[in-house]
Amino acid sequence: MAQERTIKSPLPGVFYRRPNPEAEPYVKEGDRINEGDVIGLVGVMKSFHEIKADRAGVVVRFLVDNEEPIRVGQDLVVLAE
Amino acid sequence: MLEVKNGGIETTVQDYPGRIGLLDQGIFPAGPMDDLAFRLANLLVGNDPGAAGLEVTAGGAEFVFTDARVIAVCGADMQPRLNGAPIERWRSYEVAPGDSLALGWLNGPGFRAYVAVSGGIDVPVVLGSRATYAPGEIGGHEGRALRAGDRLPLGTPSSAAAGGRRVKPDLVPTYGSEWVVEAVRGPQADPDYFTPEDMDFFFSHAWTLDRNSNRTGYRLDIHRWQWARTTGGVAGGHPSNILDNGYPVGAVNVAGDQPIILTVDGPTLGGFVCCAVVAQAAMWKLGQMVPGWDKIRFKEVDIAQAADLARQLERVISADSLERV
Repeated sequence: MAQERTIKSPLPGVFYRRPNPEAEPYVKEGDRINEGDVIGLVGVMKSFHEIKADRAGVVVRFLVDNEEPIRVGQDLVVLAE
Repeated sequence: MLEVKNGGIETTVQDYPGRIGLLDQGIFPAGPMDDLAFRLANLLVGNDPGAAGLEVTAGGAEFVFTDARVIAVCGADMQPRLNGAPIERWRSYEVAPGDSLALGWLNGPGFRAYVAVSGGIDVPVVLGSRATYAPGEIGGHEGRALRAGDRLPLGTPSSAAAGGRRVKPDLVPTYGSEWVVEAVRGPQADPDYFTPEDMDFFFSHAWTLDRNSNRTGYRLDIHRWQWARTTGGVAGGHPSNILDNGYPVGAVNVAGDQPIILTVDGPTLGGFVCCAVVAQAAMWKLGQMVPGWDKIRFKEVDIAQAADLARQLERVISADSLERV
């Protein structure tokens, strides 16, 4: 069985899955992503910061909803390797 | 020289008290959001407590030193590492040419860390200060937050600079996620602008710090105020409107339903009422609050008490607050 790991937020703020409200999500469940791919944005202090995958894998599921407040270190996404 | 390998989310050069005496020119002071941690860091490395150092916001930054210096990291825990090995906050370390200081993610309460370097950061003095005022693009390094590749000149260290010093443990500030912030009522409070019930609410509610708070302003919860007036008269239709007037640093500015604490990069004037002003000695607490999560209760003090708190804080900014490790 594939090993599952999570991508955590390096920042507190609000999580966004899309680059703007009209755009498609950066990644969807089932997508295969590479290390360094952007998986979402964290908005804090009126600015937005890209959250990048720290490893490659397949997106199993998101653990936070779009526009949900998050804490630093909170698990955002489950990846299967 | 200090080389920036990673500027993190928002890292700026600041000094204390910043650009003061220029409110009538439209310049708020800038400077560190947490002046207590900032000044203790400078004392640890033998600097004048107001010397220019770095404010690292929200975690993540890396610097390399090109010559022998003494450094200290104070403020929020960003898991600081020197050449990969964990170091303590609130104490001084000697660094050699090529040494790397890395700050990581926030770990526990607090939001800003301060890096002091013996000799200070020797960026140009602009209008009397080295502090970065990013909204006006003045001061600091090119008037902006630091980025990878920036190289900052350093000043001449004092002969007092030495590693192996720390802040006495009982004087290290403690951080939480619920803060009590001392504030003075007015200049536009009850009964002329707000009702007594409004002010009772202000001084008793646990306000949540909005996630979009930054060095310009700290937004608090939307609240339906009663207001003592029905309109702003000649100044505008809403009772939060007044004719434009100067704003004090730390004013709680109420724009319609939204209270906003005007922090160190804030506006110098405007046409909304200010129901209270944060005591100078409590401003440092704002710097360690986490936007979107932390709670603030305002504790009313009068001007004499606020001045006394300021004197108490100044007493901590002293070499007597340090000891050998």
